[in-house]
Amino acid sequence: MSAAITSTVKARVPSAPPAIQAENPWLEAARMFMRNKSAVVGLLVLLAVVIGSVLMPYIYPTDPFEIAAAPMTPPFIEPDVWLGTDYLGRDVLNMLLFGGRVTLLVGAVAALLSVTIGVTLGALAGFYEGHWFSSLLSRITEFFQVLPALLFAMVVTSLFSPTLVTVTIAIGIVSWTATARLTRAEFLRLRNIDYVRAERAIGAKNGRIIWQVILPNALPPLIVSATLAIGTAILFEAGLSFLGLSDPNQMSWGLMIGSSRAYVLTNWWAVTFPGLAIFILVLAISLIGDGLNDAFNPKLRER
Amino acid sequence: MKSLIFKLLNGLVLVLAVVVLNFVLIHAAPGDPVETIAGESGGMSEELRTQLRTQYGLDQPLPVQLGRYLGKVVQGDLGYSYYFNMPVSSLILERLAPTLLLVVVSVLLAFSVGTWLGVRASRNPNGWLSQFTTVFSIAGFSAPVFWTGMMLIILFASVWPVLPVGDMTDSASTATGWAALPDVLLHTILPATTLAFVYMAQYSRLSRASMVDVLGSDYVRTARAKGVSERNILYRHALRNAVLPVITVLGLQFGNVLAGAVLVETVFNWPGLGRLAFDSVLRRDYPTVLGILLFSSILVVVMNVLTDLVYRMVDPRIKTS
Amino acid sequence: MRILFQAGLATLILAKGMAGSVVLAQETPNKGGTLVMAFPQTPRHLNSAVQSGVATQIPATQLFASPLRFDDNWKPQPYLAESWEMAPDGKSLTLHLRKDAVFHDGKPITSEDVAFSLIAIKQDHPFESMMAPVEKVETPDKYTAVIRMSKSHPAIILAMSPALAPILPKHIYGDGKDLKTHPRNSKDVVGSGPFKLVNFEPGRRVVLERFDKYFLKGKPYLDKIVIDVSPDITATTLAFQRGSIQMMPFFNRTVDLRRMQSNKQIAMTSKGYEGVGAMDWLAFNLKKKEFSDVRVRKAIAYAIDMGFVNKALNAGLSTSADGPVAPSSPLASKELEIYSVDLKKAAELLDEAGYKIEGGKPRMKLVMDFVPGGGNAKTLAEYIAAQLRKLNIVTEVRTSADFPSWAKRMAERDYDMSIDTVFNWGDPVIGVHRTYLSSNIKPAVWTNTQNYSNSKVDALLEQAGQEMDLTRRKALYAEFQKIVTDEVPIRFLDMVPYYTLTQGNVGNVPTTIWGPVSPLDEVFLK
Repeated sequence: MSAAITSTVKARVPSAPPAIQAENPWLEAARMFMRNKSAVVGLLVLLAVVIGSVLMPYIYPTDPFEIAAAPMTPPFIEPDVWLGTDYLGRDVLNMLLFGGRVTLLVGAVAALLSVTIGVTLGALAGFYEGHWFSSLLSRITEFFQVLPALLFAMVVTSLFSPTLVTVTIAIGIVSWTATARLTRAEFLRLRNIDYVRAERAIGAKNGRIIWQVILPNALPPLIVSATLAIGTAILFEAGLSFLGLSDPNQMSWGLMIGSSRAYVLTNWWAVTFPGLAIFILVLAISLIGDGLNDAFNPKLRER
Repeated sequence: MKSLIFKLLNGLVLVLAVVVLNFVLIHAAPGDPVETIAGESGGMSEELRTQLRTQYGLDQPLPVQLGRYLGKVVQGDLGYSYYFNMPVSSLILERLAPTLLLVVVSVLLAFSVGTWLGVRASRNPNGWLSQFTTVFSIAGFSAPVFWTGMMLIILFASVWPVLPVGDMTDSASTATGWAALPDVLLHTILPATTLAFVYMAQYSRLSRASMVDVLGSDYVRTARAKGVSERNILYRHALRNAVLPVITVLGLQFGNVLAGAVLVETVFNWPGLGRLAFDSVLRRDYPTVLGILLFSSILVVVMNVLTDLVYRMVDPRIKTS
Repeated sequence: MRILFQAGLATLILAKGMAGSVVLAQETPNKGGTLVMAFPQTPRHLNSAVQSGVATQIPATQLFASPLRFDDNWKPQPYLAESWEMAPDGKSLTLHLRKDAVFHDGKPITSEDVAFSLIAIKQDHPFESMMAPVEKVETPDKYTAVIRMSKSHPAIILAMSPALAPILPKHIYGDGKDLKTHPRNSKDVVGSGPFKLVNFEPGRRVVLERFDKYFLKGKPYLDKIVIDVSPDITATTLAFQRGSIQMMPFFNRTVDLRRMQSNKQIAMTSKGYEGVGAMDWLAFNLKKKEFSDVRVRKAIAYAIDMGFVNKALNAGLSTSADGPVAPSSPLASKELEIYSVDLKKAAELLDEAGYKIEGGKPRMKLVMDFVPGGGNAKTLAEYIAAQLRKLNIVTEVRTSADFPSWAKRMAERDYDMSIDTVFNWGDPVIGVHRTYLSSNIKPAVWTNTQNYSNSKVDALLEQAGQEMDLTRRKALYAEFQKIVTDEVPIRFLDMVPYYTLTQGNVGNVPTTIWGPVSPLDEVFLK
């Protein structure tokens, strides 16, 4: 899609002599990304977690809520329960593997939701700047920015019976303001550049301009933002399930930490390992996001 | 000046909108404060339940309840907690001080340490301190704050028991007022550090980036050419400008501080507003939840306005859109 | 010479030590000191006349005195009432009050206050059956109160306990305001008990101090009591081990109990919880097809190994509850239908009932709920689910998000089976009848949520509730217990292993039938 647009746009604009024609910016960015060691490590870790979470339940099908061995078995002692058990006797490793799915799923879908809302509202707000419609959208964005995110999510999930769906929606609807503001800023910046004016000159409709001309060019910072949004959503979900406000019948890493909290001093492994897992996952995603940021903006890259 | 007033009014409307939305949401949802109270009692007769419901006005239609509530709020009356039967405003005031203490200490800690790290790192962008700052900043953001807190608890409760790991004061201490201050400060150390850890990461990264930018700017190059000492350049010229984005973030974060506070307060059993919010949500103590939401929104609006002011003061050339 | 001297010294020290321990038993307890107590739940306010639950009663029993108090043998003792008489027909209880008792503001405690309080309890206390037959309380003179009841009601004696019958000052609470939301419930509380209120910080702590004009001269021994409210049991256990907390009542985390058993500096006792009579049980929803058949209920009852529950799950710290009446109650019967674990028998019963294993499919699929809020409920649910799996019954343990959600499910009968924790509250009329009376099938939690209906049981309970003669009363309740354990609307599990943990230097740890929910006027610090 992007290649087609770039070439279409280039065809309508007096282009530079072919000899100096730039390479596809996406490939360029991808190459820059691959050169960033920490970003690549992050990507590999993420892939490992995703694949592990998807495949593991088929290799290791025991119900994580089942009692596997004596309660509070320490880690690295029993080969059956390599990471030990919690206060109920549940297998920590098993819970870790199953918990990853919920954590990733909720994180990804909630991030998708928040990015979708944010990009849509931000794009419209930026494009129609000056129009009352844009002001309205800005007001709405401000409203959600003023709304205390965690508190509101707590209210929503606890009142509407916490299921994965309510949790995902709750996280999605409070997290989109950052993306919206970023998108709006990008759109403000891009809406008067040359090829947009050219599109308008040939009578292209607003819809086409927004979604097929400006947006693809605004993508780089948005992609970075979306990546970081996944990390934030994962942390948000962990916080909610730690507080006991997520679906208590779905194993997640936050739930592991929260349910073993009362035994943290004698059962530290049931708390340390899931926390470490969250940390590593979000770290990986942040490194990817950072890498993408650098890859798309080589000039502004911080040293 | 006019734009400031306009901003405040705008904020007021927003706050009101927050209250209305949440009121409707809470009352539309299933769940019942009377049931919680019945649970505490180990049982309750039906007559009593009905009585309580009538007393709390829970049997009235929603618009009526909303109208009554708004009417009272405008007069400064946040209603009575269903659970404690005490005025919500006094409950909030009681819990406000501990949260403020926690937040102020952690923000100060984060700001000072973070900025210092960032500034030092900016002097040698390829040095080990700079690398450390990068890793530290990403790590600080990635570790869930409640987990960091619990790790610190394990460290200071089992491994190296030199600091208290919970609550704001020692259970046995009966000191009140200023006499209790040393005990309170001691108890503040761990929770404040946990909360600060997250923000510290951001500030160090931000201030480093900002300083690098400013240090490379024409303004600074001119100063160097004029022979101004490196130290002066760093701390008087560069820092002043570099601190602007940090202030923005500071202001924005302060408003959202209640979220991090909820988690830290829960982990450390800190008797603050965050924990009260959490407990009240669980107890379906609607008036208290609404009161805290209202308060938090006001805080965000005020902080936004203040940040704007400070920003303009530090750099009068800047005009906010 | 030296050896003699040393021997002499040794003997002296030994003698002193022994003498010391002998003397300790007779010495007067020292006055003074602050007792810091930790409890995980906060009281909403401090008026136990309109609010039940241990969280309220722990502080309330210090603030308010009641007509009677009880020893560790279920025998009523004088408290605000010096003497009392129960009419032979059981329809009136006459209380003769002490003449020297005063409220915390100095005003005398009279029969007017007693009458006012008891009627208030009848109207506003969550437990209906406790004072239901009370029609009026007459006050023939300043220090005599006569409770008149519509029928004989032997439970009225236990209803006079400190936890259930706080005597409130009429001159404060009789101002016409609704007692349930009275402002003096949490601020400036004027009470009648051994301690007066210094400060109540909701959700954090209650601070009490000695009332100098307490009518039992020389008591209370403690200067102050601080009740630290902290839901974080890990932190409080830590503080307890470090010595900053002296007492932890109603402690039932068996993991920690087991660990602390070997600590010689700490005292642990399970005495003091006989009155409260707290038991865990598995309730069946008799509206569900599977559970309308008593064979299915019996089968599930046979699947549970209480030996394992008591020894392994509860670290040997709990005992079985085999019937609806707590074994520590004088009205408990020994002739119950006991269900020792027998998986074979369970399978046979299920087959008989028509739930056979056919072609690899499970016999049935069930959902098990449990009362949230700590305690052993979840562990029990998980254990039983695992046992049922051995019978090819697929059981999903469903966690409720919070108490109101679970309560709603029970109230709406939207459950298959549920683990619950219910208290007897002394006399069966108060806490036992409500679960089995067909007239108490109501849409609320802790009523007859099993929808159990047996007219014989209804009649027995009605009779036993009014029977004044103890022997006959015991027989009636024995028959009731036999029927209930035979019909298994509820599979009784364990008595909740409540323990009172104290530092070694706490003397006279409360061990009457009401334990910590009684006045701590005899507790002292050594």
